[in-house]
Amino acid sequence: MSVQWATFARSWLLIDARMQPPGKIASVCSVRLQGKHKPIYHPLSDIGDHVVVMNTRHIAFSGNKWEQKVYSSHTGYPGSFKQLTAAQMHQKDPTAIIKLAVYGMLPKNLTRRTMMQRLQLFPDDLLPDDILRNLTEELPQPREIPRKLSEYTQEERDAFPMLWTPPEDYRMK
Amino acid sequence: MSLLGMFWNQTVCLLQHFRGRKNRCYSLAVRAVRRAFVYASKARKAKRRSMRQLWIQRVAAASREQHMKYPALIHNLLKCSVALNRRVLCDLSITEPRSFQSLTALAHARRTEGLRAALGDGAEPPGVFSRITQLQ
Repeated sequence: MSVQWATFARSWLLIDARMQPPGKIASVCSVRLQGKHKPIYHPLSDIGDHVVVMNTRHIAFSGNKWEQKVYSSHTGYPGSFKQLTAAQMHQKDPTAIIKLAVYGMLPKNLTRRTMMQRLQLFPDDLLPDDILRNLTEELPQPREIPRKLSEYTQEERDAFPMLWTPPEDYRMK
Repeated sequence: MSLLGMFWNQTVCLLQHFRGRKNRCYSLAVRAVRRAFVYASKARKAKRRSMRQLWIQRVAAASREQHMKYPALIHNLLKCSVALNRRVLCDLSITEPRSFQSLTALAHARRTEGLRAALGDGAEPPGVFSRITQLQ
Protein backbone atom coordinates (compact mmCIF):
# COMPACT_ATOMS: atom_id res chain seq x y z
CA MET A 1 0.00 0.00 0.00
CA SER A 2 2.87 2.35 0.71
CA VAL A 3 4.14 1.60 -2.81
CA GLN A 4 0.84 2.89 -4.17
CA TRP A 5 1.17 6.06 -2.10
CA ALA A 6 4.70 6.45 -3.45
CA THR A 7 3.67 6.10 -7.11
CA PHE A 8 0.83 8.62 -6.82
CA ALA A 9 2.74 11.13 -4.68
CA ARG A 10 3.49 14.62 -5.95
CA SER A 11 7.24 15.28 -5.83
CA TRP A 12 9.13 18.58 -5.78
CA LEU A 13 11.69 18.98 -8.59
CA LEU A 14 14.42 21.61 -8.89
CA ILE A 15 15.92 23.07 -12.08
CA ASP A 16 18.83 25.52 -12.26
CA ALA A 17 18.22 27.90 -15.17
CA ARG A 18 21.68 29.49 -15.17
CA MET A 19 22.96 29.94 -18.78
CA GLN A 20 20.04 27.89 -20.15
CA PRO A 21 17.65 28.81 -22.99
CA PRO A 22 14.27 29.63 -21.38
CA GLY A 23 12.31 27.65 -24.00
CA LYS A 24 14.09 24.39 -23.16
CA ILE A 25 13.61 25.02 -19.44
CA ALA A 26 9.93 25.73 -20.05
CA SER A 27 9.38 22.56 -22.07
CA VAL A 28 10.98 20.42 -19.33
CA CYS A 29 8.83 22.21 -16.72
CA SER A 30 5.61 21.76 -18.69
CA VAL A 31 6.23 18.01 -19.17
CA ARG A 32 6.76 17.56 -15.42
CA LEU A 33 3.83 19.80 -14.43
CA GLN A 34 1.40 17.81 -16.58
CA GLY A 35 2.72 14.49 -15.31
CA LYS A 36 3.61 13.29 -18.80
CA HIS A 37 6.87 11.82 -17.49
CA LYS A 38 4.96 9.17 -15.50
CA PRO A 39 3.60 5.92 -17.02
CA ILE A 40 0.39 6.41 -14.99
CA TYR A 41 -0.41 9.60 -16.91
CA HIS A 42 -4.02 10.58 -17.62
CA PRO A 43 -5.12 14.13 -18.60
CA LEU A 44 -7.94 14.11 -16.04
CA SER A 45 -6.01 12.73 -13.07
CA ASP A 46 -4.02 15.46 -11.36
CA ILE A 47 -0.60 13.79 -11.26
CA GLY A 48 1.75 16.64 -12.10
CA ASP A 49 4.70 17.44 -9.88
CA HIS A 50 5.82 20.71 -8.33
CA VAL A 51 8.68 22.38 -10.22
CA VAL A 52 10.99 24.99 -8.68
CA VAL A 53 13.15 27.00 -11.09
CA MET A 54 16.02 29.01 -9.66
CA ASN A 55 18.40 31.56 -11.22
CA THR A 56 15.80 32.75 -13.72
CA ARG A 57 17.62 36.08 -13.81
CA HIS A 58 20.60 34.34 -15.49
CA ILE A 59 18.67 32.99 -18.44
CA ALA A 60 20.47 32.90 -21.82
CA PHE A 61 18.56 33.50 -25.04
CA SER A 62 20.39 32.42 -28.21
CA GLY A 63 20.78 34.76 -31.18
CA ASN A 64 19.50 38.33 -30.96
CA LYS A 65 16.30 37.40 -29.13
CA TRP A 66 16.97 39.78 -26.24
CA GLU A 67 16.39 42.66 -28.69
CA GLN A 68 14.17 41.00 -31.31
CA LYS A 69 11.69 38.92 -29.29
CA VAL A 70 8.61 41.02 -28.51
CA TYR A 71 6.03 40.34 -25.81
CA SER A 72 2.74 42.07 -26.62
CA SER A 73 -0.21 42.67 -24.34
CA HIS A 74 -3.53 44.52 -24.56
CA THR A 75 -5.80 45.22 -21.59
CA GLY A 76 -8.86 45.77 -23.83
CA TYR A 77 -9.05 49.53 -23.30
CA PRO A 78 -8.24 51.71 -26.35
CA GLY A 79 -4.65 52.86 -26.58
CA SER A 80 -3.30 50.19 -24.21
CA PHE A 81 -1.41 48.00 -26.67
CA LYS A 82 2.00 47.47 -25.08
CA GLN A 83 4.96 45.85 -26.77
CA LEU A 84 8.02 45.02 -24.72
CA THR A 85 11.26 43.47 -25.92
CA ALA A 86 12.55 40.48 -24.01
CA ALA A 87 15.30 42.62 -22.45
CA GLN A 88 12.81 45.19 -21.11
CA MET A 89 10.50 42.44 -19.85
CA HIS A 90 13.41 40.76 -18.03
CA GLN A 91 14.40 44.09 -16.50
CA LYS A 92 10.87 44.64 -15.15
CA ASP A 93 10.36 41.11 -13.84
CA PRO A 94 13.13 38.48 -14.04
CA THR A 95 10.69 35.55 -13.75
CA ALA A 96 8.19 36.70 -16.39
CA ILE A 97 9.90 35.19 -19.45
CA ILE A 98 9.90 31.62 -18.12
CA LYS A 99 6.41 32.06 -16.66
CA LEU A 100 4.98 33.11 -20.04
CA ALA A 101 6.88 30.36 -21.83
CA VAL A 102 5.54 27.64 -19.50
CA TYR A 103 2.01 29.12 -19.64
CA GLY A 104 2.09 28.85 -23.43
CA MET A 105 3.36 25.25 -23.37
CA LEU A 106 0.75 23.85 -20.98
CA PRO A 107 -2.53 22.47 -22.41
CA LYS A 108 -5.09 25.22 -22.88
CA ASN A 109 -7.69 23.96 -20.44
CA LEU A 110 -8.89 24.64 -16.91
CA THR A 111 -6.09 22.60 -15.34
CA ARG A 112 -3.51 25.07 -16.68
CA ARG A 113 -4.00 27.54 -13.82
CA THR A 114 -3.53 24.87 -11.13
CA MET A 115 -0.38 23.68 -12.90
CA MET A 116 0.97 27.24 -12.98
CA GLN A 117 0.35 27.50 -9.25
CA ARG A 118 2.55 24.43 -8.79
CA LEU A 119 5.41 26.18 -10.65
CA GLN A 120 7.66 28.25 -8.36
CA LEU A 121 10.11 30.69 -9.97
CA PHE A 122 12.99 32.39 -8.19
CA PRO A 123 15.29 34.97 -9.82
CA ASP A 124 18.37 33.95 -7.77
CA ASP A 125 19.44 30.80 -5.95
CA LEU A 126 18.04 32.03 -2.66
CA LEU A 127 15.13 29.65 -1.93
CA PRO A 128 12.83 29.84 1.09
CA ASP A 129 13.32 27.19 3.80
CA ASP A 130 9.99 25.43 3.39
CA ILE A 131 10.59 24.90 -0.33
CA LEU A 132 14.18 23.74 0.29
CA ARG A 133 12.87 21.15 2.72
CA ASN A 134 10.30 19.85 0.22
CA LEU A 135 12.69 19.35 -2.71
CA THR A 136 13.28 15.73 -3.71
CA GLU A 137 15.12 15.70 -7.03
CA GLU A 138 17.26 17.97 -9.17
CA LEU A 139 16.73 17.69 -12.91
CA PRO A 140 19.74 17.85 -15.27
CA GLN A 141 20.19 21.04 -17.24
CA PRO A 142 18.98 20.76 -20.86
CA ARG A 143 21.92 22.66 -22.36
CA GLU A 144 25.57 21.83 -21.77
CA ILE A 145 27.27 25.11 -20.82
CA PRO A 146 30.35 25.64 -23.05
CA ARG A 147 33.53 26.64 -21.26
CA LYS A 148 35.08 30.03 -21.80
CA LEU A 149 38.58 30.22 -23.28
CA SER A 150 39.88 31.54 -19.96
CA GLU A 151 38.56 28.38 -18.21
CA TYR A 152 40.78 26.07 -20.30
CA THR A 153 44.19 25.29 -18.78
CA GLN A 154 47.35 26.03 -20.77
CA GLU A 155 48.03 22.27 -21.19
CA GLU A 156 44.59 21.73 -22.76
CA ARG A 157 45.14 24.68 -25.07
CA ASP A 158 48.50 23.28 -26.19
CA ALA A 159 47.10 19.77 -26.61
CA PHE A 160 44.25 21.05 -28.85
CA PRO A 161 44.89 19.94 -32.48
CA MET A 162 45.98 22.69 -34.86
CA LEU A 163 44.16 22.98 -38.19
CA TRP A 164 47.19 24.49 -39.92
CA THR A 165 50.67 25.56 -38.82
CA PRO A 166 51.38 29.20 -39.56
CA PRO A 167 54.72 30.03 -41.26
CA GLU A 168 57.53 31.67 -39.28
CA ASP A 169 56.90 35.23 -40.42
CA TYR A 170 53.07 35.11 -39.94
CA ARG A 171 51.76 37.97 -37.84
CA MET A 172 48.69 37.14 -35.70
CA LYS A 173 46.35 40.09 -35.23
CA MET B 1 -51.08 1.03 -25.92
CA SER B 2 -49.93 4.52 -26.83
CA LEU B 3 -46.66 5.03 -28.70
CA LEU B 4 -46.13 8.18 -26.69
CA GLY B 5 -46.27 6.33 -23.40
CA MET B 6 -44.09 3.52 -24.74
CA PHE B 7 -41.36 5.93 -25.82
CA TRP B 8 -41.55 7.84 -22.59
CA ASN B 9 -41.29 4.74 -20.41
CA GLN B 10 -38.36 3.36 -22.37
CA THR B 11 -36.27 6.53 -22.41
CA VAL B 12 -37.11 8.29 -19.15
CA CYS B 13 -34.35 6.38 -17.34
CA LEU B 14 -31.84 7.68 -19.91
CA LEU B 15 -32.67 11.38 -19.62
CA GLN B 16 -32.77 11.81 -15.86
CA HIS B 17 -29.39 13.60 -15.82
CA PHE B 18 -30.21 16.10 -18.60
CA ARG B 19 -30.31 19.79 -17.82
CA GLY B 20 -33.44 21.98 -17.84
CA ARG B 21 -36.77 21.03 -19.39
CA LYS B 22 -35.13 18.32 -21.53
CA ASN B 23 -35.61 15.88 -18.62
CA ARG B 24 -39.35 16.65 -18.22
CA CYS B 25 -41.02 17.84 -21.43
CA TYR B 26 -41.73 15.38 -24.23
CA SER B 27 -40.86 17.45 -27.33
CA LEU B 28 -37.58 18.70 -25.97
CA ALA B 29 -36.74 15.29 -24.52
CA VAL B 30 -37.23 13.52 -27.87
CA ARG B 31 -34.72 15.80 -29.55
CA ALA B 32 -32.25 15.56 -26.66
CA VAL B 33 -32.41 11.75 -26.53
CA ARG B 34 -31.84 11.44 -30.28
CA ARG B 35 -28.75 13.71 -30.02
CA ALA B 36 -27.52 11.71 -27.04
CA PHE B 37 -27.73 8.48 -29.07
CA VAL B 38 -25.84 10.11 -31.95
CA TYR B 39 -23.11 11.35 -29.59
CA ALA B 40 -22.85 7.89 -28.03
CA SER B 41 -22.39 6.24 -31.44
CA LYS B 42 -19.69 8.72 -32.45
CA ALA B 43 -17.98 8.33 -29.08
CA ARG B 44 -17.73 4.54 -29.40
CA LYS B 45 -15.42 5.11 -32.40
CA ALA B 46 -13.58 8.00 -30.74
CA LYS B 47 -13.02 5.91 -27.58
CA ARG B 48 -10.78 3.49 -29.48
CA ARG B 49 -8.76 6.42 -30.83
CA SER B 50 -8.39 8.13 -27.45
CA MET B 51 -7.45 4.87 -25.70
CA ARG B 52 -4.67 4.28 -28.24
CA GLN B 53 -3.48 7.87 -27.78
CA LEU B 54 -3.34 7.36 -24.00
CA TRP B 55 -1.40 4.09 -24.39
CA ILE B 56 1.12 5.80 -26.66
CA GLN B 57 1.58 8.69 -24.18
CA ARG B 58 2.13 6.25 -21.30
CA VAL B 59 4.59 4.06 -23.23
CA ALA B 60 6.47 7.19 -24.33
CA ALA B 61 6.72 8.38 -20.71
CA ALA B 62 7.94 4.97 -19.52
CA SER B 63 10.51 4.63 -22.30
CA ARG B 64 11.83 8.14 -21.60
CA GLU B 65 12.38 7.03 -18.00
CA GLN B 66 14.62 4.32 -19.50
CA HIS B 67 16.51 6.87 -21.67
CA MET B 68 14.86 5.83 -24.93
CA LYS B 69 12.35 7.62 -27.17
CA TYR B 70 8.98 6.13 -28.14
CA PRO B 71 9.50 6.00 -31.96
CA ALA B 72 12.90 4.34 -31.48
CA LEU B 73 11.40 1.78 -29.09
CA ILE B 74 8.52 0.83 -31.39
CA HIS B 75 10.66 0.63 -34.52
CA ASN B 76 13.33 -1.49 -32.88
CA LEU B 77 10.81 -3.84 -31.24
CA LEU B 78 9.28 -4.28 -34.71
CA LYS B 79 12.70 -5.08 -36.15
CA CYS B 80 13.20 -7.71 -33.42
CA SER B 81 9.80 -9.28 -34.37
CA VAL B 82 8.38 -8.46 -30.92
CA ALA B 83 4.72 -8.05 -31.83
CA LEU B 84 3.49 -6.53 -28.54
CA ASN B 85 0.81 -3.93 -29.14
CA ARG B 86 0.59 -0.58 -27.39
CA ARG B 87 -2.08 -1.74 -24.93
CA VAL B 88 0.12 -4.56 -23.64
CA LEU B 89 3.22 -2.33 -23.56
CA CYS B 90 1.29 0.24 -21.52
CA ASP B 91 0.11 -2.40 -19.01
CA LEU B 92 3.64 -3.83 -18.74
CA SER B 93 5.11 -0.39 -18.13
CA ILE B 94 2.72 0.18 -15.22
CA THR B 95 2.53 -3.23 -13.55
CA GLU B 96 5.75 -4.96 -14.73
CA PRO B 97 8.46 -2.27 -14.82
CA ARG B 98 11.37 -4.73 -14.93
CA SER B 99 9.92 -6.51 -17.98
CA PHE B 100 9.50 -3.15 -19.67
CA GLN B 101 13.10 -2.29 -18.78
CA SER B 102 14.30 -5.49 -20.45
CA LEU B 103 12.23 -4.66 -23.56
CA THR B 104 13.87 -1.23 -23.77
CA ALA B 105 17.27 -2.88 -23.35
CA LEU B 106 16.44 -5.22 -26.24
CA ALA B 107 15.32 -2.30 -28.43
CA HIS B 108 18.45 -0.33 -27.52
CA ALA B 109 20.67 -3.29 -28.42
CA ARG B 110 18.91 -3.69 -31.78
CA ARG B 111 19.23 0.03 -32.39
CA THR B 112 22.97 0.16 -31.72
CA GLU B 113 23.63 -3.13 -33.53
CA GLY B 114 24.98 -1.42 -36.64
CA LEU B 115 27.26 0.88 -34.67
CA ARG B 116 28.60 -1.98 -32.56
CA ALA B 117 29.26 -4.05 -35.71
CA ALA B 118 31.15 -1.12 -37.24
CA LEU B 119 33.08 0.09 -34.19
CA GLY B 120 32.90 -2.56 -31.48
CA ASP B 121 34.72 -5.88 -31.14
CA GLY B 122 31.82 -8.11 -32.21
CA ALA B 123 30.97 -9.10 -28.63
CA GLU B 124 27.27 -9.53 -27.81
CA PRO B 125 25.86 -6.92 -25.43
CA PRO B 126 25.54 -8.23 -21.86
CA GLY B 127 22.07 -9.22 -20.72
CA VAL B 128 20.38 -9.17 -24.15
CA PHE B 129 19.42 -12.54 -25.62
CA SER B 130 17.66 -12.81 -28.95
CA ARG B 131 17.54 -15.73 -31.38
CA ILE B 132 15.41 -14.15 -34.12
CA THR B 133 17.63 -13.25 -37.07
CA GLN B 134 15.09 -12.68 -39.86
CA LEU B 135 12.12 -10.30 -39.85
CA GLN B 136 8.87 -12.18 -40.32
